[in-house]
Amino acid sequence: MAKRDDEGAIPVPPDDGARDRVVTVTSLTKRYGELVAVDDLTFSLHSGTVTGFLGPNGAGKTTTLRMLLGLAEPTAGEALIFGRRYRALDDPARRVGAVLESADFHPGRTGRDHLRALALAAEIPSSRVEEVLALVEIEAVADRRVKTYSLGMRQRLGLAGALLGDPELLVLDEPANGLDPAGVHWLRRFLRWFAEQGRTVLVSSHMLAEAAQTVDQVVIIDGGRRVASGRLDELTERGRTLEDVFLGLTGPAP
Amino acid sequence: MRAELRAELLKQRSTRTGLGLFAAMAGLVLLAVLLHSFGLPARDLGSTSRQLMVLGRGEFLGALFAALIGAMSITAEIRHGTIRPTFLVTPRRGRVVAAKVSASVLIGAGFGLVAGAIATAAGAAALRARGIDVQLDGSDYVLLVAGSLAAAALWAAIGVGVGALVRHQVPTLIGICAWLLFVEGLLVGDVASLGDVGRFLPGAAAAAISGQEPGTLLAPTVGLILLTLYAAAAALTGSLATSRRDVL
Repeated sequence: MAKRDDEGAIPVPPDDGARDRVVTVTSLTKRYGELVAVDDLTFSLHSGTVTGFLGPNGAGKTTTLRMLLGLAEPTAGEALIFGRRYRALDDPARRVGAVLESADFHPGRTGRDHLRALALAAEIPSSRVEEVLALVEIEAVADRRVKTYSLGMRQRLGLAGALLGDPELLVLDEPANGLDPAGVHWLRRFLRWFAEQGRTVLVSSHMLAEAAQTVDQVVIIDGGRRVASGRLDELTERGRTLEDVFLGLTGPAP
Repeated sequence: MRAELRAELLKQRSTRTGLGLFAAMAGLVLLAVLLHSFGLPARDLGSTSRQLMVLGRGEFLGALFAALIGAMSITAEIRHGTIRPTFLVTPRRGRVVAAKVSASVLIGAGFGLVAGAIATAAGAAALRARGIDVQLDGSDYVLLVAGSLAAAALWAAIGVGVGALVRHQVPTLIGICAWLLFVEGLLVGDVASLGDVGRFLPGAAAAAISGQEPGTLLAPTVGLILLTLYAAAAALTGSLATSRRDVL
């Protein structure tokens, strides 16, 4: 179907084979009528990395993640996870955890029931619900209805849902939005800990200062096209900050 | 499918929506039946068909509220965004819709059973209290209650299908209410030039199952078969649309 090329792969040590490619996006394109939201995008991720998926508002980050997660159908190209389309994964909750919006909860349902419903559908034991509630430190509010939660609590509840299946890949869309400084610090430590176990994180953000402290490589897109990718330390050598690089590559909003 | 069904049943009972709709339905059934039984002139309530119509308010309101419950099982998920985590856990979306149809049919059957039982018991008691001779026999009562159960169960499936197609909650709920409360009434009764096509519509088929207007509507078994076909078509269409379209 789509042609394969390695052009967009983030440079990695030569001993890393294609086998541990967790995410492979190839010539991915999404058009809505005349609007091209994602335009021939190619990149891939290897296990054990934290990748920042950066771009201005409207660059196509969320659309790309939606296609990666099987929620939207590509117009052309493909987005594979562990070599398969998301919708073809056998037990997706145990391989991939994702949070796309910070508000994907029924306001009248408790946090614990939200997680229990997901666990039932994924056939995950309810003891795991208690584990993830403890992991994201919201046990104390688990029996309150979500409408009483702060934005930070909602972010943590979303993350708890993504972690239910103890996945190998975590995909997060703007997870730091609404977190207070302690929350941001907690999230950063959590993502590093997650990746140190050989697991993989793809995190979209437009908060560059925060991203620069969390990720070890970046994919920067603008107008649906990849404008840069690579290891953070290589992109920011010679004293340039991630912000300098980003602003130099991405145009002003149309 | 069993895992998804258990998840759907938990979603239904973990918010107050279901309980609120159930209470509203039970109250409205009681109100409608008592208003008709006590409000209409006694001479209009003597015939079997008029008594069936009064006691049949349970079938009508049970089916309406079951349809709303079915529709909201999907439109509420779209409105609050929980459809995203739902589809991430179960990317085969047809299974999610099938589980919603199954859960809604079960809950709808409960709604219909209660609505039918309340209407039948309250209506018969009210007529007797006014000294009106109740013309209905045991088989009429069985048909009223069982028909109400079946009509509501099947309309719950229609609600899921319509909700999956329309996706937006408010237009879906208004559409279902407008259809059952207004549009079908026009097509069945008021537009003579349409002939008797009105009795083949899904609301009229539901009324037929509970034995109402035997001269005008279809026979109960024919109504049951026809409404089952409507429910299957709605569920299938909703499932196909949900599988093919991008998630909002």
